[in-house]
Amino acid sequence: MSSEEQDILKSAVQEFAQKSLLNNLLKVERDGIDDSIVRALATQGFLGSRIPEKYGGSGIDQSGYLVVLEELATFSPSISALVMLTSSVFAGLVGDMDPEAVRRVASGEAMASVAFDSILEGNTTAEGLKESGKSLIGERKHILNANADYLISEAEGSGSLYLIKGGIEVQEEDQVLSFRGIKLGTAGVNCSTCVKLADDGKERLAEVMDSLDLEISAIALGISRGALQKVIEYTKVRKTFDKPLKDYGPVASTISRLMSEQRVLEMALHNQEIDEAKEKLMIKILAVDLAKRASKYALQFHGGYGYIEDFGVEKYYRDAMGLSILLQRSRSDNQRLAKEIFGEKSGYL
Amino acid sequence: MDFDFPEDIVIARQKASDFAKKEITSADAQAYDKQEEFPDDLRKKAFELGIVDYTNPWSMLVTIEELCRADAGLGIAATVSLFGAEVIMLFGSDEQKQKYLGSVQTGEKIMGLAVTESGGGSDVAGIKTTAKREGNKFIVNGSKMFITNGSIADFFVMLVRTSSPDGKRHHGLSTIVVEGNLPGFSRNKLSGKLGVRATNTAELILSNVEVPAGNLIGEEGKGFYYIMTFFNISRAYVAAQAIGIAQGALDRILSHLGNLAKSGRSEEITEEIQFLVADIATRVEASRLLTYKAASFLFQFKPNPTLTSMAKAYASETAVFATEKALEITGVSGITGDLERFFRDAKIMEIWEGTSEIEKLIISRNLLKETSEGN
Ligand SMILES: Cc1cc2nc3c(=O)[nH]c(=O)nc-3n(C[C@H](O)[C@H](O)[C@H](O)COP(=O)(O)OP(=O)(O)OC[C@H]3O[C@@H](n4cnc5c(N)ncnc54)[C@H](O)[C@@H]3O)c2cc1C
Repeated sequence: MSSEEQDILKSAVQEFAQKSLLNNLLKVERDGIDDSIVRALATQGFLGSRIPEKYGGSGIDQSGYLVVLEELATFSPSISALVMLTSSVFAGLVGDMDPEAVRRVASGEAMASVAFDSILEGNTTAEGLKESGKSLIGERKHILNANADYLISEAEGSGSLYLIKGGIEVQEEDQVLSFRGIKLGTAGVNCSTCVKLADDGKERLAEVMDSLDLEISAIALGISRGALQKVIEYTKVRKTFDKPLKDYGPVASTISRLMSEQRVLEMALHNQEIDEAKEKLMIKILAVDLAKRASKYALQFHGGYGYIEDFGVEKYYRDAMGLSILLQRSRSDNQRLAKEIFGEKSGYL
Repeated sequence: MDFDFPEDIVIARQKASDFAKKEITSADAQAYDKQEEFPDDLRKKAFELGIVDYTNPWSMLVTIEELCRADAGLGIAATVSLFGAEVIMLFGSDEQKQKYLGSVQTGEKIMGLAVTESGGGSDVAGIKTTAKREGNKFIVNGSKMFITNGSIADFFVMLVRTSSPDGKRHHGLSTIVVEGNLPGFSRNKLSGKLGVRATNTAELILSNVEVPAGNLIGEEGKGFYYIMTFFNISRAYVAAQAIGIAQGALDRILSHLGNLAKSGRSEEITEEIQFLVADIATRVEASRLLTYKAASFLFQFKPNPTLTSMAKAYASETAVFATEKALEITGVSGITGDLERFFRDAKIMEIWEGTSEIEKLIISRNLLKETSEGN
């Protein structure tokens, strides 16, 4: 996609978000992303933006897809994460093995969920689902977007990766920190219609997640831009000691430096000449780090208002942290990067 | 120099720690956090068992640490019902002390301190709520924002403007006791806080509220000075809250790493993690030393605001740092357990009772002033 086309797409996403999301952002955080938003995302072609047209998606190229993810994340990191989960993770894992399932999630007819905790920090095994003949039965924790029609999960023991089609019943929420729009939860599973996607689930999940460096960077940069835009507006009008906050050096220089990092990373993200794995990983590591810092300062400079959900700032702080735990494998990323830099396994001790 | 606490403080700490282990479980903390409910039973129990006893400030300091180490929302809710009492204690009349302090000291009543307004919290002198004297009463008009215990307190120590500033913005401010059930006084509970959700926070609206003139605390026009004196005390307690959070995060990291080692996964405890653990532990210890030094000056009635602000700012930043790193180290297990709440709770430390930026301004201005005075 040319940069002019990217700009047009950016305006289209912004216009959609202003019209269809802006008034619902607090509701998304409190109650989750509702069906009408999913349908609207699907109608616009954003939900399945990266899914090939033959599977009912929009089939846009990666540069356009990054624009969609970043712009949506400036409004709602949860919604952006839902798009990535649907378009890249679910569709990437299922693909040809069940085109109908992919078509249904791209159209918003059905919702997709994935449990990939076994490859994240602080966890190593996928527990709960037992294979029994052709069925999978049990209770699965740590499902991203648990309230869904389809679930991708490994089976306990064999570690094989399955697409579970139905028989999924959400039981509880596992965490309340981040991505409240899609939630991480536990579900009871009793499914006789499962499709085996891979023998080594862990390897396959890691492969897909590690291929999403730029997508995760786009969400991270959406978070930091959303937070920074809010704090720039706020510090222009909020006064203490009869002066707008922006007039105080520590406030202005902190925000200006964060904006500089933002701009440089956005230029790198949308530079279509970047195709080396090493560079993509570098962008991701820096972008996630920026999202954490930018959202923290944005909250801080809002004072007490930053601490209350109504101002829509604290969600960036929560989601930036969640992004680095639920969608990123930071220690493994650091080791991947060290290997790229040193040319051999490094930094593991 | 002896760094050991006297025995009675060691016992107070142990007592608070035992109480916290028994009464502040993860499940309780999670439930109160989720429902944004004030734990009044816990608060009452803490008073009944003598856990909360502000007559001994040192034991309160370590008690706050221990309770917040278990959970900041519940720990603060259980210990904050006397918030603002020092203003009456230090500057109030005997009659006011008798009328208002007795019942909060026993835990029977709850009070609050109302300074911040929607227009600003850092700029204390910029408040707009007015109290106009009419005969033997004040007529109070205005509003207060983000007031802890706001919708449950029986009364408030409130900063109001009693006369227009005579060129100096902090002149013309006074503190008065405003009871919560007066006609014209309404309060709206604020929900949707990022953390410390078991604490109660509200907006107060005052429309022609009549307050007896006898509720003026100390002298008219000295309110700014009283509130600043109060903050010098309360900031030491906030530092203790922050230390509790940071220590609680460190406890949970160590337990997580201990479990990894026990299950044969020691290789996952990389040097990067070990360095972070060392950093957190060092900062927690440094926060304690600063806070205890500030408290030592304070509790001997020779407060050192520079040290108190250092302690408050440093301990708060330590709480935020420790909880952030704790989540990064523990990953999925942390985000699905207590630590995500610790992370949300910690951030308030850098905001309330003087933001970190304001503390830094106080520290520098005091140092520059001391230098210019040749100290
Ligand atoms: C949960 C909660 C409970 C609270 N409880 C109480 C209570 O019981 N009683 C009460 O009176 N208040 C209470 N507060 C209010 C709290 O003390 C204020 O939020 C705080 O003092 C900051 O004020 P503000 O929110 O108006 O932020 P502002 O004063 O508007 O500040 C916004 C940002 O600008 C920064 N800033 C301001 N001036 C400068 C400067 N000169 N240089 C650099 N940076 C600057 C601040 O540090 C902050 O980051 C509570 C707040 C919360 C969220």
